Amino acid sequence: MALHDAAIVAYGETKIVPCSDRDVWELGADILEQLLDRSGFEKGEIDGLILSASMTGAGNPFWSQTTADTLALELDFCQSVDIGGSSPLGAVARAAAAIDAGLATTMLCLYADTAVAETNARNRAYNQEWTVPLGYLGPPAAFGLLTRYYEEHYGLDYSALGKLAVTQREHALLNDLACEKLRKPITVEDYLDSRMINDPIRLLDSVMPCDGASGLLITGRRTAEKRGLTKCAIPLGYGERTNLHAGKPVVDPTETGHRVAGAKCFAQAGMTPAEIASFHPYDDFIIAIMMQLEMLGFCPHGQGSSFVRETDFRFDGDLPLNTGGGQISAGQAGLAGGGTNLIEAVRQLFGEAGARQVKDRSNALVTGIGGIPYGRNWNTSTAMILTSNA
Amino acid sequence: MTEPTLTELDDLASVERPLPVERSFTKPFWDATREKRLLIQYDRAAGAYQFYPRPTSIYSGRASDIEWREVSGRGKVFTYTIARRARPPFRDHEPFWLALVTLEEGVNVMANIAGCTQERMRIGLPVRPHWQPLSDGRHLLLFEPDD
Repeated sequence: MALHDAAIVAYGETKIVPCSDRDVWELGADILEQLLDRSGFEKGEIDGLILSASMTGAGNPFWSQTTADTLALELDFCQSVDIGGSSPLGAVARAAAAIDAGLATTMLCLYADTAVAETNARNRAYNQEWTVPLGYLGPPAAFGLLTRYYEEHYGLDYSALGKLAVTQREHALLNDLACEKLRKPITVEDYLDSRMINDPIRLLDSVMPCDGASGLLITGRRTAEKRGLTKCAIPLGYGERTNLHAGKPVVDPTETGHRVAGAKCFAQAGMTPAEIASFHPYDDFIIAIMMQLEMLGFCPHGQGSSFVRETDFRFDGDLPLNTGGGQISAGQAGLAGGGTNLIEAVRQLFGEAGARQVKDRSNALVTGIGGIPYGRNWNTSTAMILTSNA
Repeated sequence: MTEPTLTELDDLASVERPLPVERSFTKPFWDATREKRLLIQYDRAAGAYQFYPRPTSIYSGRASDIEWREVSGRGKVFTYTIARRARPPFRDHEPFWLALVTLEEGVNVMANIAGCTQERMRIGLPVRPHWQPLSDGRHLLLFEPDD
């Protein structure tokens, strides 16, 4: 299998800020230097570039080439991945596949977006025809609709969602790169009392739009070994599903592509949910975490509330969850935000998470969510299990 | 919960709504709304309807299987949310309803719900079409309670 022949040898991340005064390419250059410093690679050894989607870059159909030119990268492989918040994790799988196919040897996966400071996106989708005339705001409304459905059909304990919000917030307090504005403790009562945005979605269910960047350097596992890079993260399994049940006119919005993407990921890794040492799910809304616990097989569909009540998700608990705070408590760096929890997982596997280091760093499960379709949940679901080389 | 109970939500009747962008393959839908008629796509081979209108069949990928059929627009609320935050021209009209409605033909349609108090709203609430005039003579398909 191709996937585990690739190795993540370095990670980089900027501070997440409410609105960046640094240009998106300056953030990219910051990540590049961090990766060179931490890996010992020279710029000229990087022969592949994979960018995540970026609202700042969205106005430029030549985004990956222009970015490579700006950073003076000479490449054999150059592309952007445009599956929304799933792009950063999807980029790792694509990097591994491209390395295995011999298209390039060493990949810079760069996730940079300054969506607040400068968005250039013009969304050609169903929205202008079917939802904008209704006053529909996109993700918060979509999650309001699916949360109400979940509550009606399966029962939902909002204090369990509050517990997830509180745990992630506690983790953000330990993360110096999290958005400062969010680094204040909250209680379950604060969560329950926070104002409604799209009933039953509350303010503290939701991500705060921010700017920031992160990235990974990925090379062949053998190359990493030859260079003595013993600290690395190896992908063991990956699954990706876009538009689950695309051919059905009415679907249960609480069933997501993570059911199939997760099954594929676990099968490829030869592992089960019980063996997962830490869990780093994509979090745009708190309920998405609970839905992923169900779809990935940690608990049955519809029983997320009781599983959450019974599980300690703190970094030193049963199933450490988004130990950097997740996007909800660290800030969502636009479409690069899918890199935040991914980089945290790699940091944990490297054993470099400091005050929030998990005890068991043998593996980590990372996921992605991307895109909001008409009347469903989300377009793309991804899942990847990584292992440390330790 | 400290949330005050709001019985009446804004019907958005006074909002000058953004005009829906029409595509080559959705023209029959919008033309019919001028006469407050609801046309949705039907796949003859699959024997099933689909919504929103697509350039092809969601069942087979064959556009040639698709025809337009007029339907009543009666259905039931599949799920709903209250929008408490909106951009212009909807700003200052919050709170208002957004719902998914399952038509009798087995498709989901997103819409605002008019004339419905909070006490009356529920998943499963029967609804019928409520055509909201647009500035260009077309109508927007909304729903109102039919119980």
